[in-house]
Amino acid sequence: MHTRFLSMGALALATFGAYPATALAQTEEPITIVINQSPWLPGFQAVVELYEKTSGNTVDLDVNPFAGSLEKQRTAVRADASPFDLLIMNAGFFTEFYTGGFIKPLKEISDSFELSEDIYTFDDSVCWNADARTITCDGGELLAVPVNPNVLILHYRRDLYEEHGLEVPTTWEQLYENAKVLKTDSRYGISQRGQRGAFDVTYDVFPYIWSHGGGIVDQLEDGSFQISMNAPGTKAGMETYIRLANEVGHPSTAGQTQTNVIQNMATGRAAHINSVPAPGLFDDKNQSAVVGQVDYAPPPGTTEIPSVTPLGHWLAGIPRNTSPEKQKAALAFLTWFQTDEAQRAYAEAGSMPVSRAVLESEMADQEEYRWMKAMAEALPNSRLTFTFPEASQVLAITELRFNQAIGGELELSEALNTAADEIAVVLEGAGYSFVLPDPLP
Amino acid sequence: MRADGIWRYATLLPAILFFALLTFLPLANLVALSFHEVEWNEATAVWNWVGAENFLALPADNLLRAGILNTVIFAVVAVALQMIIGFFLALWTTQVIRGRLFYRTIFILPILVPGIIIGAIWKLMYSYDFGVINSALGVFGIGPVDWLGNPNLALLSVIIVDVWHWTPFCFLLLLAGLESLPKDVFEAARVDGASDRQMLRYITLPLMLPTLIVTFVFRMILAFKVFDEIYLLTGGGPGTATEVISYTIYRRFFTEDQVGYGAAMSIAVIALIAVMILTATRATTRKADQS
Repeated sequence: MHTRFLSMGALALATFGAYPATALAQTEEPITIVINQSPWLPGFQAVVELYEKTSGNTVDLDVNPFAGSLEKQRTAVRADASPFDLLIMNAGFFTEFYTGGFIKPLKEISDSFELSEDIYTFDDSVCWNADARTITCDGGELLAVPVNPNVLILHYRRDLYEEHGLEVPTTWEQLYENAKVLKTDSRYGISQRGQRGAFDVTYDVFPYIWSHGGGIVDQLEDGSFQISMNAPGTKAGMETYIRLANEVGHPSTAGQTQTNVIQNMATGRAAHINSVPAPGLFDDKNQSAVVGQVDYAPPPGTTEIPSVTPLGHWLAGIPRNTSPEKQKAALAFLTWFQTDEAQRAYAEAGSMPVSRAVLESEMADQEEYRWMKAMAEALPNSRLTFTFPEASQVLAITELRFNQAIGGELELSEALNTAADEIAVVLEGAGYSFVLPDPLP
Repeated sequence: MRADGIWRYATLLPAILFFALLTFLPLANLVALSFHEVEWNEATAVWNWVGAENFLALPADNLLRAGILNTVIFAVVAVALQMIIGFFLALWTTQVIRGRLFYRTIFILPILVPGIIIGAIWKLMYSYDFGVINSALGVFGIGPVDWLGNPNLALLSVIIVDVWHWTPFCFLLLLAGLESLPKDVFEAARVDGASDRQMLRYITLPLMLPTLIVTFVFRMILAFKVFDEIYLLTGGGPGTATEVISYTIYRRFFTEDQVGYGAAMSIAVIALIAVMILTATRATTRKADQS
């Protein structure tokens, strides 16, 4: 009897005790977000859980490998009805979703929606001017909200720098000298991503080639293009990259993936890496042998062109072919995601916020968030990589040719000249006007 | 009697139609696609007729050329090794009296492991910095060896994985073939004083030839379609060292979103493989008939 009384009491307590958790009635339709698997996913998952807890709404994540996520997004927006209500688009490929007319302007869902002034617009990549077919907020419509501010940041071993009395490098030459000092039989001076993938080695060579005055394809003010893949600056940048790889880097740089590079840093096998920060990882004693020993700085540059880094950010867009209720629910999530609360929670979960206010807040002074200052310093010098929908075809070319040059399969000038000619074929096929420079000697 | 025949065909018709729809419709769609270029505008697909342009661009495609060459090398070397190892393992297993079931189970284990797991296992084993293979070699003062990053070694490394993965397939088919051979022929040969080598050369191999041909053709078809091992281990690199046809089609069709060109490539490759398989089958069947 006594036991039964206690059991009933426990049941009543559980019922009423659980009440506050269910008190937040779901106000929006459940939504599904398609996203890629990466070191930054756990942070996004944590912030989604917080949203569900605070709003009572339901969000499902459809997680895929990087290339698989792009294919799923394409298939979804081209179907009669999209199974996904929010697409997490990568900086390399978002233009094809804009130009294809697949993304619903956010103000068409709710006229009152505004992008918070604290949120970075990343070279206006959140807007699209359909008439001018240009990425710009000047006359363009707001199509997306940034989710992750992915840019390359120099990671270096703070403890080794202190031990050897080194200064944080601002030029590639200084980085080379420091890497030479820190290189040992069991430690690489630097570990670089050189493997060919969807947007892998190309992304990582941008800081080198841009800071030497080179590039891949630049859009000119009149809308035409300048192929700079075989410009002297691109060659100089690649020579710097290859010199680091050959003299102080990993012996298998052409075979290194992002995972390998991060792994080399986390296990203490690399003194430097250039990577999108995964700060939660390096300070987690379950995943890292260098807890508290990694510090961050903007990527080096040259004496003529200082640090410049490519935007690899993620943008969240709502497909046109999902129901108005789902679109409204997706916008509710994006509205909440911009708040200070959400952005701070995102940082606390080990990801990088897209809010300037949070990046430059008192959080940046805390040891745990020491990467924020480097990020805030690098972001003003970040650039969009590709601004046309045929980016995936150009990337297939550059990924192969950069990889061949790094691996020594092709001589550098030959690799760059070949790639430039191949890019010209893509641009010509797409009907663009462009300039192809004379081949490198 | 005639009514029986009509009834027989009538009952088969739904299955034939179903099969035809599943097989020919996608193929017809692929053929149609191969003569077009598809653009997306206002969320609508626009099919632009390009005639044979997609097919004419194929010979100049450096990735496709590398893919064909690597696929042929991969298929010939991997399947040859699988056939040889599989045959001798099967031969040995038929001679084992105790524990035959145990060995059979052990030998077929790799084929039961999903491709994605195999990729993960071997990628870890091949890792330059942390792999067990390089660690083992290090004990003898060798290496480290760049198994997947060295253009001269990468294809061989993938072939080793494929041999490990698919030899059980050959083993299984060839074991079934060996176990079904008539025993009296071997007994008679033994009575006549034939040695083991002579029995293998003059009895086992000729009798096994039909099974060997079927196994070879099956494996060649599968080897030409290799994708998962390349996708997981090397991504076609370094450079084009491990680029194979299926992976090139995947890149062109899906990653680069060139669906018309990718369709043309698929059709050309289907035709190429069909010709190669037919030629190989015809040649080996003729040989079997002769013997």
